[in-house]
Amino acid sequence: MFEKLYKSSGLIFPALATIAALAVSGSLDAYLAFVATSWIIFGLLGLSLDVIWGRGGLLSLAQTAFYGLGGYFGAVVAINMAPTYGMSLVWALPCSALFGALIAAALGYVIFYARMGALQSTILSYTLTLLLWSVTQTFKLDVGAATIGGDNGLSGIPGFVLGFGEEAKKLKPNAAFALVVCISAAVYFVTYWLMRSNFGKIVDCIRIDIQKTELLGYDIRKVQVLNFAYSGAVAGIAGALFALWANYLNPSIFSVQEALLVPIYVLVGGLGTLAGPFLGALIIGGLSFWLGGGAAGGQTTLILGTVLILLVLFLQNGVLGALGSLWRRFMPDPNNAARLTGAVQIDTEVLEDILVEAEKTAGPAKNLSTDEAFKRFGGVIPVNKVSRDFTPGEPHSLIGPNGAGKSSFLKTCVGLYRPEGGTISLGDEDITKAPVFARVRSGMGMKNQKPQVFGEKTVRENLWIAAYARTKDSAKSDAISAQILGMLGLGAQSGVQASALSHGQQQWLDIGMVLCLAPRVVLLDEPAAGMTNEETRELSVLVRTLAKHTTVVVVEHDMEFVRTLEGHVTVLHQGKLFAEGDIKTLRANDAVLDIYLGRGEHV
Amino acid sequence: MFKVSGATGGYGKTTIIRDVSLEVQPAEIVALLGRNGVGKSTLMRFATGLVKAQAGTVEIAGVAAPPAPSKRAKMGLGYVPQGRFVFPRMTVIENISVAAASNGFDAKQVVAELFEDFPLLVPKAHDLAGGLSGGQQQVLALARALAIRPKILLLDEPTEGVQPSIIDEMAGVLKRVNQEREIAILVAEQNLDFCLSIAERAYVMEKGAIRMETDRDSLLADKVLQQELLGV
Amino acid sequence: MEPDFLATVLLSSLSSASILLIATLGLAVVYGLMGVINLAHGEFLMVGAYSALTATQIGLPFLLAIPFAVFMTMLIGAVVELLIIRRLYGRIFDTMLATWGLGMVFNQTAVLLFGTVSPGIGMPQWNFRIGDFSLAVYPLTMIVVAALLLAFVYVLMTKTVYGMKARASIQEPQMAQAIGIDSARVNTLTFAIGCGLAGFAGAILLPIIPATPSMGLFFAVKGFLTVVVAGPVALTGTALTALGLGGGASVTASFMTSVIGDVFFFFVTALLLWLYPLGISSKWRRKL
Repeated sequence: MFEKLYKSSGLIFPALATIAALAVSGSLDAYLAFVATSWIIFGLLGLSLDVIWGRGGLLSLAQTAFYGLGGYFGAVVAINMAPTYGMSLVWALPCSALFGALIAAALGYVIFYARMGALQSTILSYTLTLLLWSVTQTFKLDVGAATIGGDNGLSGIPGFVLGFGEEAKKLKPNAAFALVVCISAAVYFVTYWLMRSNFGKIVDCIRIDIQKTELLGYDIRKVQVLNFAYSGAVAGIAGALFALWANYLNPSIFSVQEALLVPIYVLVGGLGTLAGPFLGALIIGGLSFWLGGGAAGGQTTLILGTVLILLVLFLQNGVLGALGSLWRRFMPDPNNAARLTGAVQIDTEVLEDILVEAEKTAGPAKNLSTDEAFKRFGGVIPVNKVSRDFTPGEPHSLIGPNGAGKSSFLKTCVGLYRPEGGTISLGDEDITKAPVFARVRSGMGMKNQKPQVFGEKTVRENLWIAAYARTKDSAKSDAISAQILGMLGLGAQSGVQASALSHGQQQWLDIGMVLCLAPRVVLLDEPAAGMTNEETRELSVLVRTLAKHTTVVVVEHDMEFVRTLEGHVTVLHQGKLFAEGDIKTLRANDAVLDIYLGRGEHV
Repeated sequence: MFKVSGATGGYGKTTIIRDVSLEVQPAEIVALLGRNGVGKSTLMRFATGLVKAQAGTVEIAGVAAPPAPSKRAKMGLGYVPQGRFVFPRMTVIENISVAAASNGFDAKQVVAELFEDFPLLVPKAHDLAGGLSGGQQQVLALARALAIRPKILLLDEPTEGVQPSIIDEMAGVLKRVNQEREIAILVAEQNLDFCLSIAERAYVMEKGAIRMETDRDSLLADKVLQQELLGV
Repeated sequence: MEPDFLATVLLSSLSSASILLIATLGLAVVYGLMGVINLAHGEFLMVGAYSALTATQIGLPFLLAIPFAVFMTMLIGAVVELLIIRRLYGRIFDTMLATWGLGMVFNQTAVLLFGTVSPGIGMPQWNFRIGDFSLAVYPLTMIVVAALLLAFVYVLMTKTVYGMKARASIQEPQMAQAIGIDSARVNTLTFAIGCGLAGFAGAILLPIIPATPSMGLFFAVKGFLTVVVAGPVALTGTALTALGLGGGASVTASFMTSVIGDVFFFFVTALLLWLYPLGISSKWRRKL
């Protein structure tokens, strides 16, 4: 009961708050109702940031830009339409939402398709706001009845008009308050649903580990742009409500101070909580109101600045975050099960079944070939014209001294590095220029050196999200993840957060995620690192079984492990192919001993 | 010479090592063996002061060590961490110089000396350390630790992710500095061959405590123990 | 186009770019060496300006007022590092937000202490003629000041033991301690030096830009765009970016309006970030 309430707290408490707000809306003092309306609007603006920052992982300082532009656009439409047809909301809201979404999508396209760094993305979003601020000061334009007058602003915006026709009157403050509460609640619940949907799950994964998400075959750029566009739409709606509430807009909406307030609302309430920004706006708004200065009051800035510093230092998760962790203390820790794990045992029969099943849906194994593949970083050439065919049947091991370019070679194959020359093909397909996710969809699966798991998600969710990347079907993903879960012996840990697992278990989970993709070519970068000897033996069984059905390339330092694979071994040195054969032949090869295996003079 | 007594510590509220005591004699090489996760790294970091002591003391050359890691370094405690942690955006020379200069030694002279020990680093002298390969970084981390002219050197998994030929070379250098400069060495390892080739004595750790002390010959002879403790 | 006019435009643009560089160097040091974006940098500049102004008002000559301003800002910077920044290393967005808040506090405090307008300082205005055009000398000397300051900071950070310790402390704080560096103290000093450079800028620019509580905003915004576009090789990158962006904006502004100059600045910033998503120096193999 207690736990159920916790799990649905994002629905129940906001619903209660909405009902309470509607209940008191009639009896509020008209001025207070008027001011409180703005707090709700700011909360909605904060929600738009929480979607892209708390969930999407990008601290966008352009939310006030979408808000302001959406507001201006909606207001211009409303000014022209509402006097004749009434219903200012019907005109303003969709237009603002659409305009906000469009601008956000355009900015998001630049940020995400250029694959900008986090700091650069934040700065670019801030640049947009600053650009708008300087441009709008002198921007003058007449659109029908509306006059955008530079720093004189845009006046004559109709209030909240609900009825149709010329006679329709604008709502009184208390009714307007109730209306804004209803609209905001509706937007909140839609957002809540969206963030819990499969789309939301992918957004979460991108925030936690963007590279891993792409290695599962998700087109991360598209998801990020869509999420940003949604956040822009929410900001636009908030902008329209603000325009109708204030009846006036001017360029100060794009000012630095405005832009700053939005992250404060989110931080006060709790980053990533969705409901938090409303609470934050209420607290900050209420505080300013109570201090008597309103937003323009002198000391407010001083207090806000101090609040921001204290929040960052002492209350990282905001009010709701702090309450949430307090609540969790009284519930059993789901991660307790992490300590009860037994040893992993690969049942070859089960694994065979999985692989045969995968072959039916994903097609036969494919060859991986590189032809003169070439990659350089400044003066270092980690991959120097490597031509090699990898075929199914037996495992292929890549060995070589540190810095020989083994990992770089795998990264070039999967597309994490873009080669400067040569071609890479998967089956008959030339994938040299394809982005990572496209290669994964064509059948490549890669596990990096460090285990990459989504730490905040449970073990089952990790596998599920991998299976969903391929099947795009919830029921099938349930079945596949359950199957792999059983094989890894992690059944009892399905509800444990992946970050609570040991290093070795995370390696297994990561390998399990790759298996969920049913890859036709598997690339494993030092999979045995951090595993115990028993686990390494099981891994060897897994790799050998896997190689019967798919093409497998393993980079490994552990010679004992390479020996047990009984496969084909390729030695790389200074980015080039150096020698190949089975491990016995190589051990007898003087040149290989010189560069790599050592002669054992001291050891 | 170097003594850890009753070491108890960990991260946050979690205690990882409990009441661990060990000793290294002057110019002795001692191995610290044990599987993954038994607390070898934590013990090393405890000795450097990077892990706060919940209880226990560290003694360097007969003097009780103060808690600050920087002061322990000045008393002659050299440390090569697991994962190398060289300063990535500084050149090889700077990595060594900053260690020497921070302890009042002539940086130029120290760099020249160490380049003789590690000819591998000479062609890379002006490269940024972050661009070196794993094995080269490991050698640099060792050179940096030697630059403070230590009396006792702590090595944490120096062979991890390093190619066999460099491991061989490192073993040679360690034996040499141990004999010529009388530096005592404590090395934590999973690579039994490497340890047995340089160390005469070993402590075996299990579940955050020292389970036994042994010497090279008995460990070599006792295959059952090897199997059980190290999973060899 | 007349050559005289062209020479005038070029000289004054070079001097604008130099002014931007002077105002930005402290930010570049703090970002490049410590990985901290100090959004209160502009306010430190303002503190420097008011310190110098106050010093001249009580009778100190301007040349002595500058070191006083540097001392004041370094002191405040050290306190800020001890109380706030030190707890936030490695959390770049949290430091951004905290220093943003700090900037607001400084700004408001300055309004309370000094009001929103303040007197300029009386400095003789020498002029310099090119044909029909007249240029003020003081802004032109900023070209030399910028070059000297850049050289000073570069040498300090790359050639001295302190510089090596400062870089080591922030790149691998724990290892820096383990080889005998008191990295906490070194970090405090580095942050204080960054703030001191802002104070220096505020003071030396006082004859050109009068002290007001919000004077820092303009420089801080342009300054950190410059630094972020510059990328990881902070000093060299920042010098180039300041020259290109600041100079370009100033040339644009001389031929058109100052708003278009600003638009140029922001637009080119966006363009450079699109072309170099991790900053223009992300692939350079240099130290600073």
